[in-house]
Amino acid sequence: MNQTYEDFKNNVLNLGVDVTETDFNQRGYHLEIVLTLNTIREFAQKAYAHGFYLVFVTGFHVLPQETEGGKTSGLEVVYQFAKYDRLFRVKARVSVSEDMTVPSICHIYHGANWHERETHDFYGIMFSDHPNLEPLLLCEEDRDYHPLLKEEKKLKSFEAVSWPAESPDMADIETQTSSDL
Amino acid sequence: MRESHFQEHNRFFLNMGPQHPSTHGVLLIVLEMDGEYVLDPQPVLGFIHRMHEKMGESRPCQGFMPNTARMDYVCALPYNHGYVSLIEKKAGIEVPKRAEYIRVITSELNRVASHLLWLGAYLLDLGAFTPILYGFDDREHILDILEDVTGSRLTYCYYRFGGVYQDIDDKFVEATRAFIKRLRKRYDIYEKLVTKNIIFIKRAENIGIIAPDMAIRYGITGPNLRGSGIAYDIRKNEPYSVYPEFDFEVPVGERGDCLDRYMVRVREMEQSLRIIEQALDNLPDGPVRSKVPKKIKLTPGDCNFAVEAARGELSYYLVGDGTGVPYRLKIRVPSYSNLSCLPELGQGILLPDLVSIMGSLDLVIPEIDR
Repeated sequence: MNQTYEDFKNNVLNLGVDVTETDFNQRGYHLEIVLTLNTIREFAQKAYAHGFYLVFVTGFHVLPQETEGGKTSGLEVVYQFAKYDRLFRVKARVSVSEDMTVPSICHIYHGANWHERETHDFYGIMFSDHPNLEPLLLCEEDRDYHPLLKEEKKLKSFEAVSWPAESPDMADIETQTSSDL
Repeated sequence: MRESHFQEHNRFFLNMGPQHPSTHGVLLIVLEMDGEYVLDPQPVLGFIHRMHEKMGESRPCQGFMPNTARMDYVCALPYNHGYVSLIEKKAGIEVPKRAEYIRVITSELNRVASHLLWLGAYLLDLGAFTPILYGFDDREHILDILEDVTGSRLTYCYYRFGGVYQDIDDKFVEATRAFIKRLRKRYDIYEKLVTKNIIFIKRAENIGIIAPDMAIRYGITGPNLRGSGIAYDIRKNEPYSVYPEFDFEVPVGERGDCLDRYMVRVREMEQSLRIIEQALDNLPDGPVRSKVPKKIKLTPGDCNFAVEAARGELSYYLVGDGTGVPYRLKIRVPSYSNLSCLPELGQGILLPDLVSIMGSLDLVIPEIDR
């Protein structure tokens, strides 16, 4: 597409995270980045260095999955970044571990302070090193009530609420395996 | 020793709001003061929090439409616009061209109304009573025009998935053209009364400077950002609806102070009028609503849609699950990020300057609290 776009993508790929190019007309953003808890701050630093501004931080709740290491929390933190000088929107997400703690990025993006407090209000996700993780939009009395956590019967699996995997990719994999055989 | 004791003695906390006239709604700012100087202003939010996001996730998307106007009640139509466009994108609904033109015309009228109200209210904050009467007078004409076609004066629910509620008539077109003519004549009055007023300039010039780097750190958008010289407007940068068909400019300031933010908004009104004029001249014929299935199904997967509201970038981020009820709906409102810079912007300034800064940020509290 252009220099900035490729630069940023390669720069993020260096972090060892999962980057997917998405169809902007379909989803409204260009890149989807799956971060790990260790790479959030480095990623935010890179985004800041590339002149991205923070659009929002929010949470997302799906059915917990059984993995080898145990059960996941089913919670995710979703970040969105965009640029002032050109059309370039990025979505980044990170799974929240059992201890419900995610590193805060509010020392890099000062605006994240309120967004993270709001996410804490709504989902109960903790942000480590956050200077003031007090209730922002909800009242003190509702400190332990997190309205956007879904009831168990309403929870859906992550696959049920994501775009279907693109079929050409599946075909590629199938042909690969058959040639291997 | 004596001096530090004196300083200790002078420090105190001051509650500005939640009923203070210059917080425009129920916003509380806890100020740590040293005499007349503000050391640390901390906004306290949530007084009118209604959890719109939860409502959006617990009812079919048609049922959420009226909610969209109740966030930013001063400029509600772009909120309608963002939501219908998002659902249309997600459910694959076509919109007739005439409907998009009507959406742009009414949205821009609403933007002018919002800026007029802001102009009056800002000057009122600074102690000038007359401009708000002029502003209200002009805004009243827009509200009358919009009331005729939408049925309400503030909390519009005029757009529908696949079009608008009803077509505009000749009366609307005439009244809009008459209003454009009227407002252009009034520019002189505003310029003499406000823009060239030395007291106003002294209260706004070089006050509350937002540097471009600060804008990035806080995610500031809209006229507050453009005042700092960055020409970022979703209508140009991420074109939606039929905006690419119109010729308009994105006014920017230089210093990023309160005066620049004022000038940007005043010049934006003229640009909105230009868009409306072009849209009225080229208004296509045809239906204003397409056929939409009774039960709208949102395909699984997430989708983001951003529009330029009067105060900046409004983003709806929706995750669908195949049913008609959004699985997740995040509403990113501009004033939330715009206000979050206040603790940094208001450090070490005089209390009257803080009032000027807050006025220039154009805050709408129901939008911040959602």
